[in-house]
Amino acid sequence: MDFSFTEEQDMLRMSAKDFLAKECPKARVREMAKDERGYDPQVWHCMAELGWMGLVLPEEYGGTGASFMDLVILMEEMGRNILPGPFFSTVALCALPLLEHGSSEQKTKFLPQIAKGEAMWTFGLAESSGKHKASEVKLRAVLKGTNYVLQGHKLFVTDAHVADYILVAGRTGEGERPEDGITLFIVDARGPNVKMEAIPTIGGDRQFKVSFDRAVVSKDSILGKIGNGWHIADFILQRAAVLKCAEMSGACQAVLDMTSSYAKERIQFDRPIGSFQAIQHKLADMLIDVEAVQYLLYQAAWGVSVGLPSLWQISAAKAKANEAYQRICIEAIAAHGAIGYTMDHDIGLYYRRVKAAQFAAGDTDLHREVIAAELGL
Amino acid sequence: MDFRLGEKELALKEGIRKFAEAELPPDLVRNTVIDGEFRDFEFEISMSRKLAQRGWLVMSWPEKYGGRSASLLEQTIYEMEIAYWGIPGAWMGISGIQWVGPCLMMFGTEEQREKYLPLIASGQKDGVWCTGYSEPNAGSDFANIRTRALRDGDDYIINGQKVWTSVAHRARWCWLAVRTNPNAAKKHHGISIFIVDMKSPGVTVNPILNYYGRHHFNEVFFDNVRVPASNLVGEENKGWYYLMQSLAFERRSIAPTTYGNLKRILEELARYAGQTEYEGQLLSKNPVVRAKLADLAIDLEVLKMFAFQLAWRISQGQIPVYESSRNKIMGDDLMRQGAIIGADILGIYSQVDPDSKWAKLNGAIQGAYLGFPGQAIAAGTAEIEKSIIAQFRLGLPKSY
Repeated sequence: MDFSFTEEQDMLRMSAKDFLAKECPKARVREMAKDERGYDPQVWHCMAELGWMGLVLPEEYGGTGASFMDLVILMEEMGRNILPGPFFSTVALCALPLLEHGSSEQKTKFLPQIAKGEAMWTFGLAESSGKHKASEVKLRAVLKGTNYVLQGHKLFVTDAHVADYILVAGRTGEGERPEDGITLFIVDARGPNVKMEAIPTIGGDRQFKVSFDRAVVSKDSILGKIGNGWHIADFILQRAAVLKCAEMSGACQAVLDMTSSYAKERIQFDRPIGSFQAIQHKLADMLIDVEAVQYLLYQAAWGVSVGLPSLWQISAAKAKANEAYQRICIEAIAAHGAIGYTMDHDIGLYYRRVKAAQFAAGDTDLHREVIAAELGL
Repeated sequence: MDFRLGEKELALKEGIRKFAEAELPPDLVRNTVIDGEFRDFEFEISMSRKLAQRGWLVMSWPEKYGGRSASLLEQTIYEMEIAYWGIPGAWMGISGIQWVGPCLMMFGTEEQREKYLPLIASGQKDGVWCTGYSEPNAGSDFANIRTRALRDGDDYIINGQKVWTSVAHRARWCWLAVRTNPNAAKKHHGISIFIVDMKSPGVTVNPILNYYGRHHFNEVFFDNVRVPASNLVGEENKGWYYLMQSLAFERRSIAPTTYGNLKRILEELARYAGQTEYEGQLLSKNPVVRAKLADLAIDLEVLKMFAFQLAWRISQGQIPVYESSRNKIMGDDLMRQGAIIGADILGIYSQVDPDSKWAKLNGAIQGAYLGFPGQAIAAGTAEIEKSIIAQFRLGLPKSY
């Protein structure tokens, strides 16, 4: 058993930390929340040059062939800084399944674009219930000649406005189980009959309703096999759950650090508030939450890294992060007092992003159900 | 990072499973949390001896003291499995294996090690220890102890009172914290540790029954008890340092044992929910039951990782600052959560006496329910542990 990171991993974390501290200060985060695109193309370009988009992609596709754990480390730092932009949508939701399930033509065509930062992607799964479940996939895809025609809509699609391609889960048939008959399509996000409508969120991130009104997709643009797309969707949800958890882990750490510094500086009753047990115990609880998220995350990420992904460990990590991230933010605001409730303070930036994180890649109910099944219930 | 268990650890788990199946009576009451150790002393000691014969009882000790230098990871797995199967007799009076032995190895004289360690390692009645820390005016404020040891020639003479002394009524030896210098500038600086023979004249043990009538702890009086100076552990007045180390040892093993205990409880509850119907539906299909047990399972996974992480850190030669406190809080919290969720699932049966034929799951849930408030106080309350984390991990100013 080994709980340490390699020297290379420590270096990756340090360089990500340095880059993000410089290029993504909180002023930039605030600016981007109002920006039309929601990300800074200059920063995006630098990230590509640093090899971040292609981190886990093999060299033949322009990547550096790093491990999944390396990506987790990088995304913890992104979460710590609340890096705005379509990195999660492009890499976690799309590049990983393209690499795992794409045809060699698809990989050769799409992955180098992603690695170079030239293409952005996103994934459309949830519909009106917002649930990431096979039974909720109702968007129809009907074969007409050599093309499929898509009819329906997807909700809460992240970064769709800047995406070049959208991976869309559609129903091409029915089977015994709701999982049967789902197909994943690679859809040109700017193609005709694809419409987007922003869903304003409290987090200031970018989510959309994407409607497909007789949108035409060629038969070659299927990821994996017809009717067999759910297991790819499942693959995406699992990997993305770990990576979202990484962002949340970094965010939790940031909020704890911020609060613990404040408790040392803020003087009331002639002494730092951090000398009061009411505040100390709150912070101790926060630390335990932070470390709980970290170790469940590392356990799950390690499994994926060595090719032994454990569905149940992944779900434990995401369910824990969902609960802990929210609690840590709420406790942190309480420890700060009124200043924590202001627009000027950074805590609010984290708190406002809790909900988007909780519902990305499976909500708490979904992940609890995975665990209940594992318990034999 | 690597979270795989090695072949050694997997074989150990399997070995303990077989041992439990062969050696434990099938109807053994598993309400171990309320009982702690030593309800049936003869049986417990017989199990201690069997564990010693297997080379498990003090596995992480060096060979020359009766162990086999097992890694802390193996030790952690062992503690988890012992607790999972509810195997009694694993601690030799709680103190001996967990902290007296390890502390003597660090701070004791060679003579002390040779005299006391083999008694513990072989699982004999004369290797059973109790620990004299708390006093009527020294609970969380442990450094406030007043039991006094005065030098008298080649001996010390001890006077005073200890309280909440677990298994003192079974112990042959006491690991005793006393004041040797009442004039030290700070009260932490005048404390020493002695090894006291519980058969010495002047030692009186009175039972204190817990709120369920079980006899686990005691009050112990020392009335002019004469102890040879060779029974002083380490240096005089340096006791506080040894005590902090002993408490770190004690707190370390809480996470693995609580993990094992609760993992068993969780599995039993899942089985029970899968066999019990209410209004035509199995409890296991009830969404509230599913969510509660899933949450318990998630936090149990956290506790497991915390236990392994602490063992790993110590095995790297690092001195853990706050991890034992973190694990203690997490373990206690989880035991409470498990007991309450378990009781919710058993419903009205959760009130049945754990020893009664009416008890579900061998009374394990009532055992946990009755036991967790006590366990949460022993070895440091949550409040003390949280203050340790705040001050030593987060660098916040001292609050007391």
